[in-house]
Amino acid sequence: MWLAVLAASLGAAAAGRVLGKAVTAALVVVVPFALWALAIHGLFFPEGRTVLAAFGPARVTAEGLAYAGGIVLRTAALVVVMLAFSTWVEVPVLRAALVRRGVPAQLGYVLSTALGLASTVAERLERIREAQEARGLVVRQSLPGRIVAARLQVVPLVLQLVDEAGERAPALEARGQALPGRRTSYVDEPDSRAQRALRWVLAVASLAVVVSVMVPAVAGVLGGGR
Amino acid sequence: MSHQLTVDAPRRSPLRTFLTILGVAAVVATYAFLIVSEPADVVNGPSASSALVALVGFGLAMVLLFAGILPTLPTTTLALIPVALVLNIVLGQFVGSTLVPIYLDSIGTVLVGYLAGPSAGATTGLLSNLVWSFFNPSVLPFAAGAAAIGALAGLSARLGIVRRFYLVPIAGLVTGFVAAAIAAPIAVIVFGGTATGATGAIIALFRAAGEGLVQSVTTGAFTSDLPDKLVTFSVAAALAYALPRRSTQRFEFVRRYRVLAGAKRTGEPADSKAAPAA
Repeated sequence: MWLAVLAASLGAAAAGRVLGKAVTAALVVVVPFALWALAIHGLFFPEGRTVLAAFGPARVTAEGLAYAGGIVLRTAALVVVMLAFSTWVEVPVLRAALVRRGVPAQLGYVLSTALGLASTVAERLERIREAQEARGLVVRQSLPGRIVAARLQVVPLVLQLVDEAGERAPALEARGQALPGRRTSYVDEPDSRAQRALRWVLAVASLAVVVSVMVPAVAGVLGGGR
Repeated sequence: MSHQLTVDAPRRSPLRTFLTILGVAAVVATYAFLIVSEPADVVNGPSASSALVALVGFGLAMVLLFAGILPTLPTTTLALIPVALVLNIVLGQFVGSTLVPIYLDSIGTVLVGYLAGPSAGATTGLLSNLVWSFFNPSVLPFAAGAAAIGALAGLSARLGIVRRFYLVPIAGLVTGFVAAAIAAPIAVIVFGGTATGATGAIIALFRAAGEGLVQSVTTGAFTSDLPDKLVTFSVAAALAYALPRRSTQRFEFVRRYRVLAGAKRTGEPADSKAAPAA
């Protein structure tokens, strides 16, 4: 089942022409997770019965491997679905779509600003490092040396960012960020009747799945608890 | 539509307070369910229904808290939140994959909690995980823990703990305890007790000693969250004191509850020169 989800989301990513980006981003997340899952559950699974190989305290068991495989597959499905969305989506369009559906405008502001800032901050950190190195900063191997170096780079960054945020606040205020009421957007979201219908179908279907799984689970716990 | 240009942000209304309470209730209910239904037998594979309950419950709580809190935040706070999110991510990567079992991925959240109060801190925690999940979706299920961290940071600032900075590490430890207690069941149920980095190594160690999965993950969560939050709270307090007063006193929360020491007395030399590195 998880393989089907994986295939479907990869297909969607391919249709959205972001397959490469989505796969790269997903591999960055999934590969370390899979390695650790193998290390934890593949080697050490005291409940396992079928021992395939043993090295001292580490025993490779069939049950452990199956468990790790299941977890990794499930996580990979979750990760790929979400990354296929986040690599495909254009943040301004997402923001317009959210605002049009009555989501507080603040959420759109925070999302788009944070995603925009993330790319500039890395660049700015680089510039601060260069400036500090020009002033004679040498990153030493020792732990205190690293802490000093981190402090010299992080404190200016934080000061700069917080100060900028303080300056942005009056500007936002002057543009009526805090006012209630309708927002107009420069960006229009592409939409069609078919898409709208499909969305409703999918929403109802997922709601049905969630309810059909959750109700017995919750009822079971409540019944068992008493 | 006769708005004044300087109209205040819509502050708390009964409906919004109700939504916030409902959101907190959703977190508590989901958590209680996860504890009660904690899988005793991991051998049968990961249980999908508990994971779904966890995701749906915490997702619902997230929506309710956003609807309840976001519109009430003043603009100064709102402008700070994206900065905090980026700090979380950048500083978290700064420490990155060292073999110390700490992640330091909530310094920005704690800083907002200190400067703007519990509800702003909780929102920042939620948003941080939401934005981070654009790059790494596996952090999204831990949003409830991040919200609790922000809220507790704000609460400790309000109680004057940041003013008496010798208490900050203790507040950090308490928060670490709560964060670990929230994160451990999620780590077991959603990710089958798999963690990367040093926390994963601790889990593997306890599993090698024959401990149960829930036991090992809980131990791993506590050994990494307690020192992590201790360091995070201390670093965030140091940053708050390093900021120029012009920046910190902009926040009504800081002024009203006198969060930072030395805010009342003027002309303190240490304060005006607090940022020599800038």
